[in-house]
Amino acid sequence: MRILLVEDEQKVADIIARGLKAERFAVDVCHDGPQGWEMASTYDYDLIILDLMLPGLSGAEILERVRRKNSQVPILILTARDRMDDKVSNFERGADDYLTKPFAFAELRVRVKALLRRGPVNRSSILRVGDLELDRLSQKVKRAGKKIDLTGKEYALLEYLATHPGRVFSRTMIIEHVWDQSFQGLTNIVDVYMRHLREKLDDPHAHKLLHTVRGVGYSLSDEAAA
Amino acid sequence: MNTRSIKFRLVAWYAGLLSVIFVLLGASFYLDLRNFLQADLRQAQARRARLLCNLLLARVQQTGEAYVIGQIKDWFAPESNDRFIRLTRADGTLVYVSGAPKDGSFNPADVPVFSGPKAAESWRTQKLSGGNTLLIEGLYFKSAGNPAYWVEFGSLLDPVESMLQHLFLQLALGLPLAAVIITVGGYLLVQRALRPVQLITSAAEQITQLNLSDRLPVAKSGDELEQLSVALNRMIARLDDAFQNSKRFAADASHDLRTPLTVLRGELEAMVEDPQLDEALRGRLASLLEEAIHLSKIVDQLFVLTKLDSGEARKDWTRFDLAGLVQTTTEQMSLLAEDKRIVLSCQAFEPALVQGDSSRIKQVIVNLLDNAIKYTPPAGRVQVRVLRADGHALLEVEDNGIGIPPAALPHIFERFYRVDKARAAGDESAGLGLAIVKAICTAHGAEVEAFSAPGAGSRFRVKIPLANQEIQKSNPAMRS
Repeated sequence: MRILLVEDEQKVADIIARGLKAERFAVDVCHDGPQGWEMASTYDYDLIILDLMLPGLSGAEILERVRRKNSQVPILILTARDRMDDKVSNFERGADDYLTKPFAFAELRVRVKALLRRGPVNRSSILRVGDLELDRLSQKVKRAGKKIDLTGKEYALLEYLATHPGRVFSRTMIIEHVWDQSFQGLTNIVDVYMRHLREKLDDPHAHKLLHTVRGVGYSLSDEAAA
Repeated sequence: MNTRSIKFRLVAWYAGLLSVIFVLLGASFYLDLRNFLQADLRQAQARRARLLCNLLLARVQQTGEAYVIGQIKDWFAPESNDRFIRLTRADGTLVYVSGAPKDGSFNPADVPVFSGPKAAESWRTQKLSGGNTLLIEGLYFKSAGNPAYWVEFGSLLDPVESMLQHLFLQLALGLPLAAVIITVGGYLLVQRALRPVQLITSAAEQITQLNLSDRLPVAKSGDELEQLSVALNRMIARLDDAFQNSKRFAADASHDLRTPLTVLRGELEAMVEDPQLDEALRGRLASLLEEAIHLSKIVDQLFVLTKLDSGEARKDWTRFDLAGLVQTTTEQMSLLAEDKRIVLSCQAFEPALVQGDSSRIKQVIVNLLDNAIKYTPPAGRVQVRVLRADGHALLEVEDNGIGIPPAALPHIFERFYRVDKARAAGDESAGLGLAIVKAICTAHGAEVEAFSAPGAGSRFRVKIPLANQEIQKSNPAMRS
C-alpha cells in the first residue's frame, strides 16, 4: 500500500510518516503544493493525505485537479481550520474524509485503514458476524437464533460496526456517524451506549463479539481481540 | 422624574437661585420703601411743629395763647388736611386740640395723652380705636421768658400702609409667577439643549460587539455636544479596531496552536505506545498526553467561541421546530441519564418555530443537558421543557442536583469560570460549555438565565424569539 502525504509542517509530516511506516505502509512525503501535485499526478497511490494550507498550491486546488483527472484515489484532508463550510466544500470537491488538527494519531490510523479497505459497501439486507444476524429491513437482531431487543440508537451503532466486521472505529467516527457534530464533546456517550449494547449482545454468551481497542475505539468481530 | 438628571438639577438650581434672589430683592425693596415713607412723614410733622414753636410759642408771653390757637387754625387748617395737632402745657393741661377731620376718619379728642418722658423731640405711632394709626411727632418747647409746652403733630399712617400693602401683594403674586415662568422656560430650553444627548444615548445603547462599525449621529451644531459625539465615535472606532484585532488574534492563535499541538500529541502518543518504555516513564508521558488532549479541546472550543463572537453569517439560518429538536436531542441523550439512574423527562408538546442555526441550538440543548446530568447525583431527576410565552419560546432544563452556590451564579457563563476552582479528576471539559451556550444564545438574539438553590438543584432557561409566522414557511429543516 502506497500513501502520498502532502504536509508543509516538517514535524507533523515526520510523525505521520513514521507512524504509517510502522504500520508497514510505503509513504512518500512532500512539503509544498506544486511538488505534491507532481507526485499525485505521476504515481498511482492507494491514498493521499492532504494538508489544506500549502505553499505554492493549496490542498483544495490539488484535490480538485486530482478529481478532474478522474482519479478515484481516496483522499483524506488534514486542516487546522474546522469551519463547517470548509468541510462541506471539500466534500463537494471530492474529499473522502476530513481530520482537524490536532488529532490523535490513532484516529488518523483508523481512518486511513477505513479508507484503504473501503471496498464495495455491503448492500445485502442481512449482515452476519459470527452467530450474530442483523436484518436491515426490519431492523431485527438475532444472536444464535435468539432475538435481541435494541433501541433505535443501539441498532444504528451495531449496524455501523457490522458494515465492516473487524475494522476499528474511533469514538469520533462513531459520533459523527451515529450522532452528529453537537455531541462531539461528549465522547463518553459512545462508551455508555457500547456498554448497554454489550450487556444485551455479549453478556449472555461466552464468545464475545464487541471489542474495545484501547485508546482508539471499538470493533465488531468474530475473532478474538488482537 | 429622574431627580439626578442634568436637566432636573440644572433647572432646580437655577429656579431655586432665582427665587432666593427675587425674595431678597423684594424684601429689601419693601423694607426700604417703608422706612423712607415713614421718615418722610415724620420729617414733615417735625418741620411743622418747629415752625409752630419758633414763630408762635416763642412769643406767647406777648401774644397770649388765644392768638396762638387762632394762628394754628389759620396756618395748618388741620380739619381740612386730616391732621392732628395738640398743644399741652408742661403741667399737662390742654391748650388746644384739633377738630375731627372732614371725612371723620378719626377723632383727635380720643388720642391718648402721651405718658412717656417728654424728650426735646420724639415720635411714636398711635393705634386708634377706629383702627387707624397716627404717626405723632412730639416736641417739648421751652424758651426764655415763656412757659413750656408739649407740641404734638400727627398725620395718618394709613395711606402709607395701604400703599405698602398693595406693593406687598404685587410682589407676593408677581414674583412666584415670574419664578414659574422662568422655571418652565428654563426647562424647555435645557430640554432643547440636551435633546442631542438623548439621541446619542439611545444610539450608543444600540451599539454592541456585533455592530461596532455603526457610528453615533453627529449634529453639526458646533457646540460641546458635537465634540462629544465626535469623540465618542472616535472611541467606538478604536474599540472596533481593538475588537477586530482581538478577534483576529484569537482566530490566528487557535489556528497556530493546532500545528504544535498536533506534533505534541503525535510524539507523546508514539512514545506511550513504545513497548520498550519503562512503565513509570510511560505513566508520566500518558499524563502529559492527557494534558495535551485537554489543551486541544480548549483550543477547539475557543475557536467555536471566536466564530460566534465574530457574528457568524446568518445564511445557514432556517426556521425549525424547537420542541421537535428538543425531543430528539433528549432522546439521544437519554441513555447517559439512565446510566446514572437519573429520570430524564421531556415536556415539549406544542411546536415552537424559531429561526436560527439548528445545529448550534442543538449544541445548547446538549451542553445544558450534559451539565444537568453531570451535576445531578444518581437516582436524581432532570426535566426538559419547551413552553411558549409572549412571542418567545422558552427552553428550560431543570435538575435536582447539587446546585450552584449564589456567589458563583453570576459568573457561570463566563469563559473558563469553574464553580470549584480545581479541575476535578476525570473532568475533561474546558470550562467553556456554558460560555458557548451563552455565545450561541447571543448570536440568536436569545437570553439565557440560571436559577439555583444549592443542594436543591438548578434551572437554566433559554428564551428565544419565536419566528415571525407571517414570513413564508421556508423549509422546516430539522436535523435529528
